[in-house]
Amino acid sequence: MRAFGYTVAESPADAVRIAAGTPNSAFVAGGTDLLNLMRDGAQSHDHLVDLNHLDLARIDMDATTLRIGALARMRQVAEHPEVRREFPVLSQALLASASPQVRVMAAIGGNLLQRTRCGYFRDAGSACNKRVPGSGCPAISGHNRGHAILGGSEHCIATHPSDLAVALTALDATVHLLGPDGGRAVPVADFHLLPGSTPQRETVLRQGELITRVDVPRTRAATRSRYLKLRDRASFEFAVVSVAAALRLDGRTVGDVRLAFGGVGTRPWRDTGVEAALRGRELTEAAVSAAGRVLVRDAVPRDGNGFKVELVQRALVSVLGELGGVR
Amino acid sequence: MTGLVGRGVERVDGRAKVTGAARYAADNAVNGVLHGALVMSTVARGEITELDTSAALASPGVVAVYTHENMLPLTVPPDFPYPKRFIPLQDTRIHHNGQPVAYVVAETLEQAQEAATLVRVRYRVAPPTALLADALDEAFLPRDFRGRPNETVRGDAAAALERAEVRVEQEYTSPMQHHNPIEPHTTTAVWDGDSLTLYESAQGVVLTRMVVAQAFAKYVLEQDIRVVSPYLGGGFGAKGPTWSHTLLTAAAARLARGPVKLVLTRAQMYTMNGHRAEYRRGLRLGATRQGRLTAIVDTSTAQLTRTEESIYNTSNSTLHLYACPNVHVRQLGVRLDLPTSSYMRSPETTAHFGLETALDELSYEVGLDPVELRVRNHLPAGPPASKYLLECYRMGAKAFGWARRDPRPGVTRVGDEYVGWGMATETHTYNAIPSFAELTIDEAGRATLRVASQEIGTGTYTVLTQVVADGLGMPLDHVTTLLGDTAFPAAAISAGSSTMPSVVGPVSTAARNARDAVVAIAVADPRSPLHGVPAADVVAEHGQLFVRGDRRRRDSYRDVVRRHGQAVVVNGSGPNTPGHSFGAVFVEVRVRPRLGAVRVSRVVAAYDPGRVLNHRTAHGQVIGGVTWGIGFALMEHTVVDRNTARVVNPTLSTYLVPVCADTPSVESYFVDRPDPASKPALGARGFGETPGTGVPAAISNAIFHATGRRLRDVPFTQDKLL
Repeated sequence: MRAFGYTVAESPADAVRIAAGTPNSAFVAGGTDLLNLMRDGAQSHDHLVDLNHLDLARIDMDATTLRIGALARMRQVAEHPEVRREFPVLSQALLASASPQVRVMAAIGGNLLQRTRCGYFRDAGSACNKRVPGSGCPAISGHNRGHAILGGSEHCIATHPSDLAVALTALDATVHLLGPDGGRAVPVADFHLLPGSTPQRETVLRQGELITRVDVPRTRAATRSRYLKLRDRASFEFAVVSVAAALRLDGRTVGDVRLAFGGVGTRPWRDTGVEAALRGRELTEAAVSAAGRVLVRDAVPRDGNGFKVELVQRALVSVLGELGGVR
Repeated sequence: MTGLVGRGVERVDGRAKVTGAARYAADNAVNGVLHGALVMSTVARGEITELDTSAALASPGVVAVYTHENMLPLTVPPDFPYPKRFIPLQDTRIHHNGQPVAYVVAETLEQAQEAATLVRVRYRVAPPTALLADALDEAFLPRDFRGRPNETVRGDAAAALERAEVRVEQEYTSPMQHHNPIEPHTTTAVWDGDSLTLYESAQGVVLTRMVVAQAFAKYVLEQDIRVVSPYLGGGFGAKGPTWSHTLLTAAAARLARGPVKLVLTRAQMYTMNGHRAEYRRGLRLGATRQGRLTAIVDTSTAQLTRTEESIYNTSNSTLHLYACPNVHVRQLGVRLDLPTSSYMRSPETTAHFGLETALDELSYEVGLDPVELRVRNHLPAGPPASKYLLECYRMGAKAFGWARRDPRPGVTRVGDEYVGWGMATETHTYNAIPSFAELTIDEAGRATLRVASQEIGTGTYTVLTQVVADGLGMPLDHVTTLLGDTAFPAAAISAGSSTMPSVVGPVSTAARNARDAVVAIAVADPRSPLHGVPAADVVAEHGQLFVRGDRRRRDSYRDVVRRHGQAVVVNGSGPNTPGHSFGAVFVEVRVRPRLGAVRVSRVVAAYDPGRVLNHRTAHGQVIGGVTWGIGFALMEHTVVDRNTARVVNPTLSTYLVPVCADTPSVESYFVDRPDPASKPALGARGFGETPGTGVPAAISNAIFHATGRRLRDVPFTQDKLL
């Protein structure tokens, strides 16, 4: 770790102004990921702008929308009665994340910006195109059991680790940003970028731009939603494969379905083709299996992660089976 | 005797630990201490060609940067317990990825860490070999290690296997694993002229002193080195041997002319202090149709390095556990460009996993219950030792409800989970090492025990305090136990389950001697109410000394020693012999076969550790051992990159160990009968490493019972069950 400067921001505009005007700066809220990255030398900043005093931690819901302040803590959102009632998938995804201690500290905005768990990325002694562009990707020919089968490039196959982002992607959430030139809103599905030839660029955020809020539309499907997370230990571990699903059945027919997947893509993975394969059909295991095949049609398995092609399909069958009463 | 030994006495050091009063090695505040930080190699094999320390030296607060160009020349200690067999910073050779290449000393920790990032190193690189699979054709039989051969032949296993009515022939594999104690390794080195004090995270202060004396033979005498390690935040074998960071810190402190503290980072603990080696094991069992073993051929291949060839995970249970006339054990190895392995948490688990899984396979081949198969192959102990393993099978099976088990795989289902029951024998060797103790009774009538043993988290303070209190006839809170200091009488390393079998003898002897000495003073002293009473008629209880049969005629430790005018100091010794402890573990798993998910839902275990000295700490050992066994079976593995031979997951967020949610509560039972072969230790055997040795196999066997799928390659992650 190297020495860095530190400022406590007094307002969102203040935070944006400082960050935009300070090269190689970063925002810090809970710090549960950032500080580890800096200690390990995987990330280095000259200046940190502390957001913890900003009034951005509210959670409100009206007739159409749930609004989550970017500084709301994971635990606050997970335990919020309206979130639990109207968006089970959101609460479940958060409770399946990290540990109770981390959930008390970690903020929603930071959760969306957490960096990949790829061991090569987090080790300053390894090559990594995401950390040092052009240095190479050892994961492609090395250890890649945890890596993506969808959305990868020859430069990077790292997964995005956030469970929350997967749930928000399934729910069509919108991320609100404040930058030096004012505010804008970005659908969460467009917020994270595919690695392509620039894996160091992970989101659409510009220098100094701050996440202020996440809006989640209320739907009937969202009230019947679930998060299934498969992992190598029962708690405090990232997904090998996860599925966020929201379902509205009209009788036995799928009226509406929203699906997003974690652990398989280089970003929280949404494939509307999978949903289209189910919408308007009777919810049977055969229909779900067919939809699963759509999901993995372009999968690129590597030496260590080929099992995810099968596992994610089975996870989809399992979660929709539970939600729709299909066995 | 007040009957404290055996009781589940609470930890005497518990309050100090939970309040932070206990001072662990890195907690010691040393005036003017400087801070060290290591720079590690990023290549696995080759040579340093250029090392630029100028930016680091110019960084604020930096006192010195030591490299092969200016480090103190040291002598490589001759053998175990210095497993590394080379000392970094002595030449340009790189033996493995994550080897120290520079040692930064600065005024603050942050300055040292920042300067460490500024050291520039260039290498001439040779391609490394990182995985067993890439070098199996280079397997060889290493030379004897610590006096033990790596090939053992009993009878004619090949011929017996040829003739066997039933055969099981399979391969079992396990990956590299790391100890991962929560307290990182740390050394604070303080020179005072030519004497050296080390505040050390060490499982063995006496052996650490010996190794440091060997390395610093040119500079310091062994008697002028003091090693202090009163508490350990976990060791699991990682802090048993002495590693290079200790030597480098002592050298840096000598060169810098000031005390230096080094705390390894978590990542550095994956290359600096040993690990459990990657293994492949071919097992061939021959048996009669009635399930009697006629042959075992056990051929293992371990990861070694190019600088040493020590085998730490010996196949002891194959040789000693069951009655089998024909056994052939070969412990092979291959040289890879990796850090040195070492002892880790019940090292015999590696081999035992294969044997106990193979026996389960044999039980299905011959159609016998797995417990009955083991009973049929039971080997009684040779006198004078006891072995109540059959009792363990009975106790464990009864408590678990094993008799209700339907042997057919894949038939029991609860909801969407398949239920499986599996079992295995548990066993481990324990060592007994000559040890000594000193006991003082002061004029306040309080006892202080001094012994250079260690508290590695297992309860040494508590159990030794019980032994002293019982031996003296004194209340527990009148006894203070001091450990972990080479200023005290020499004692065993706390490794190899050796603490209790080695140290209890000297301590109980010292207690008996102290009691006898005080009684002798009393009966000879005309001022004592006990004057003239035959010493044999004096009874000690609760700090009081009575005449047997006349409780009114009494004296006390306090009054006797006070009248005596000086503290009574006695010593004790009590050599013991090594042996084995035994048990049986029964495990229930729940498997969702479609998702490959396994969880352990129930564990019941029964043990024969000889006499149980403290039921609470013994149960604690079982919880710990079983938890590590679950880790071994379901998640633990160190990943090494095939191309760079660099550890890919050197963090606790990527090297998974079980959390509470993975670990059911564990029921433990004890036969609790003294072993005559361990008489000096009051009939207690070494036990710490026995619990857990059978758990990986029991889980594998339970998964087979649940699903019909036989897993032989740990860890059993989801991908392996799809």
